[in-house]
Amino acid sequence: MAKKEDLLQGTLDMLVLRVLSRGELHGWGITLKLEQLSKSALQVDEGSLYPALYRMEEKGWIEAEWKMTENNRRAKYYTLTRTGRKQLEEATGSWDRMTAIIALVMESA
Amino acid sequence: MNPLRQLFHRRKIEADMAEEMRFHLEQRMADQVADGLPPEEASFAAQRKFGNLASIQEQAREGRGWRWLGNFLRDLHLSGRSLLKSPGFTFLAILTLALGIGANTAMFSVLNTLLLKPLPYPDREQLDRIYRATPQNPDGNLAPADFLDLRRAQDGYGELAAYTAGDTSLAEPGRPAEMAYAARSTANLFALIGARPQLGRDFRPGEDTPGRDHVVILSRRAWLNRFGGRTDIIGRSIRVDGEPHQVIGVMPAAFNDWRSLGAIDFFRPLALSPVEAADRLSTVLRVVGRRAPARSPAETGGFIASFGARQAAAYPEANAESSWRAVPLQITAGGRGSLTVVPMLIGLSGFVLLIACSNLANLLLARTMARAREFAVRAALGASRTQLLRPLIAEALVLSLAAGVGALLAAQWFGDYLTVRSTGDNGEQVHFLLDWHVAGWALAASLGTALAFGLAPALFALRLDLNHTLKSGGRGTTGGRGHQRFRQALIIGQFALAMSLLAGAGLFIRGVYDLNNRRGGWESEHLLTGTILLPSAGYSDAEKITAFQRLALQRLTALPGVGSASLAAFTPFFSWPDSRKFLVEGRDRPPPGHEPAAVVNAVSPEYFDTVGTRILAGRAFNARDLAAAGQVFILGQGTARALFGSDNPVGRRLALAGDGKSQWGEIVGVVADVQPAAAETDSTVNQVYLPLAQEPRRSNEILVRTTGTATAPVADAIRATMAELDPDLPVRKLQTADTAINRANYQLGVLRDMLTTFALLGLGLASIGIYGVIARTMAQRTGEFAIRLALGASVPDITRLVLASGVKLALAGSLIGLLGAFGISRILAANFPGIHTSGNAILAGSTLLLVAVALVACWIPARRAGRVDVMTVLRAE
Repeated sequence: MAKKEDLLQGTLDMLVLRVLSRGELHGWGITLKLEQLSKSALQVDEGSLYPALYRMEEKGWIEAEWKMTENNRRAKYYTLTRTGRKQLEEATGSWDRMTAIIALVMESA
Repeated sequence: MNPLRQLFHRRKIEADMAEEMRFHLEQRMADQVADGLPPEEASFAAQRKFGNLASIQEQAREGRGWRWLGNFLRDLHLSGRSLLKSPGFTFLAILTLALGIGANTAMFSVLNTLLLKPLPYPDREQLDRIYRATPQNPDGNLAPADFLDLRRAQDGYGELAAYTAGDTSLAEPGRPAEMAYAARSTANLFALIGARPQLGRDFRPGEDTPGRDHVVILSRRAWLNRFGGRTDIIGRSIRVDGEPHQVIGVMPAAFNDWRSLGAIDFFRPLALSPVEAADRLSTVLRVVGRRAPARSPAETGGFIASFGARQAAAYPEANAESSWRAVPLQITAGGRGSLTVVPMLIGLSGFVLLIACSNLANLLLARTMARAREFAVRAALGASRTQLLRPLIAEALVLSLAAGVGALLAAQWFGDYLTVRSTGDNGEQVHFLLDWHVAGWALAASLGTALAFGLAPALFALRLDLNHTLKSGGRGTTGGRGHQRFRQALIIGQFALAMSLLAGAGLFIRGVYDLNNRRGGWESEHLLTGTILLPSAGYSDAEKITAFQRLALQRLTALPGVGSASLAAFTPFFSWPDSRKFLVEGRDRPPPGHEPAAVVNAVSPEYFDTVGTRILAGRAFNARDLAAAGQVFILGQGTARALFGSDNPVGRRLALAGDGKSQWGEIVGVVADVQPAAAETDSTVNQVYLPLAQEPRRSNEILVRTTGTATAPVADAIRATMAELDPDLPVRKLQTADTAINRANYQLGVLRDMLTTFALLGLGLASIGIYGVIARTMAQRTGEFAIRLALGASVPDITRLVLASGVKLALAGSLIGLLGAFGISRILAANFPGIHTSGNAILAGSTLLLVAVALVACWIPARRAGRVDVMTVLRAE
């Protein structure tokens, strides 16, 4: 197995929002998607994921609904709300600025 | 998600969370089985990966808002359960608090009903009572002539109305006449305050002129009680004061809220005769005003004050010593004295509550200390301060909320009791209602006590010395010096408060007892009294009145069982409201209005004989002291001394000042002073007697000394005689003097009972408190006692030690409480100058009682301490 990277503090919310921006997913689906997109470099700890989901639901960034999966199992699907989308844009923007600044410092130092 | 929904659908949410995670787990397992792992291993791996399910759920929960409320409710739930596990403690704590809060809430409901409840009149903030204060009476009323002057100038104020209240005879065809409490009011009174009859119509303008005034508006109470609530009463004729009057309206029940009007049975227009309209001396008119909306209270208040000053300058003989003021009507709603007495009662019930609270603090502290080790362990395991505090606060909250409910029940019961106890003679009642204000007060009191007194043990828990508590294996719970001192301070405080209550109540009980048994200057045995009122119709002039009085006295004296009968304006045992000013012949005339004053009574010749007032010098009045003969006076001893010092006043001459005639009359006698059994007036006023024949009046007191002890048949005979003389003549309150005194002071009795209740509550609660603290301290000092006993101390030594520690606290508290008792007696003395509220015996007795209670409360733990089994205790060390 490839070496796993720990998630940078505070980035999980942004990643989840990003994944959900492509369409609704259940918790397990989010885990899979993150692993898949990061080419298994990122391992999402369920112990962080679910509290994060509930927190974001609480803040109104995402909404949840019970639905049936393709295999006819009941699962809770999350979708992005309008405020969630706005939050994603903001987070993406500040992430870009932050990485640019860090890169600048790292290169010029 | 809606946080409230979250709160109430918690089970559903938890289930959802579990299902979601189970789904996740199964998916991962399936994934790994697909990767080739054996199913059991996959299950293990998945669970390992997932970590502790419960902990994730916990974290997830923390992620939700309103968590604190959820936690809080759980804390309440838990503390409720833990309280149920120690029912003895819980019962005691709730009972203690419920009594404390209940007493306080009940008093608040009295305040609420009497003073706070808005009067049911529109724009009531514009309404004022107008008082004419004199040195004798700060809430005095206006004389008709002064009122008319004021009304002519009313544009400086707004609009004014007046009424006067008094006994009136009420007769219906075929029924014996009754006496009713009636008012004569200006026609605009109801319109001015904004009250409308519920039935019929209001007075019409101009109906308050002589000749047009034969109309009556009934109070709802009189309408129901006397006329059966019949609607066809409107338009019917009833006999008032011997003349037919037409009933035109019935006032609604809400009228009772303003006690001054609430006591009145019916209203007639105030039609002043020319003589009455010119009267500047009879201050009988109660004046109500509605400020013009454009004027400020300061403006109108200033106007009234300066108008009063103008009247004092223009008519000094009547108004020199008076000052006028306007008081918001709402403040006067509760009647006289309620402004100071009711807040005092709230304060005293607050004392009871404080005692209850410090009991609660003690109980909770003891409970917390018993769990000190548990707290230390939890703190050592990393529980945060909030986590430690929350259950403690929750417990206090549960206790006090339960107590709050109990308190409301207690207050309701007490309110009903008060309503019954304070019912007036004519069925007038005050209903002490529990409205939202009262419920809010109870809630605030509960929450306040929970916070204030739940916090003490909580703070103690915070300051726990972890190391020490854990090392000492649970014996570190003696609480150290600081806590000991804190609890002793609580006990001293309790006893101080209990002492204030007890001594205050004791002084008042004594004062009321003395008042009800005060017979200074007259004798009450076998004395019957009753009031008669001659209807104005048949007794329009002095001659007719005097003729009737002579006839009535003849008939009364001839009745079997009557030893002596007389008539007087007032009884010897109630204060005489008629105050006049005098000039002494041969002395310089004082500035008008500043002449010496005395209260006067007009009496028939046999009066002094009938009531048993001793004649000290000169003679009593006799049958020759008639209207046509020269004016004569008899002085009370105090008046004689005040005016003439040690000189003999008999033969000297006086004149009534202010009536314009200044006709000199001779002093024919001096009699002993009588002390009125009335709480509101100081008994040491100057008294002067006039012959009834020279002061004819339509309202008279019958005074009859019976020869035997059976007064009932004589009373029946008196009633029959009066009805025979005139069917329109009601005899009111024909009863023995003793009964009359007790009945008249019934409101004092209610107040006395309240004070007594508070004192007993305070005493009981304080004794529970000292018992609890001493018992606990003793339990903690068992080891010490065992050692003392082992070293040769005797059992009585130990008992004495324990008793002494309790008595010291009680004594210290009682001494501090003397200050409070002194304060209470001062407040009572200021409100009831007729009651003597002092007595060292009461103070000493209260102190002894408290110490005795402390002794008894400490006795049980002291005995237990003496019976310590030395070997067992020392081995356990």
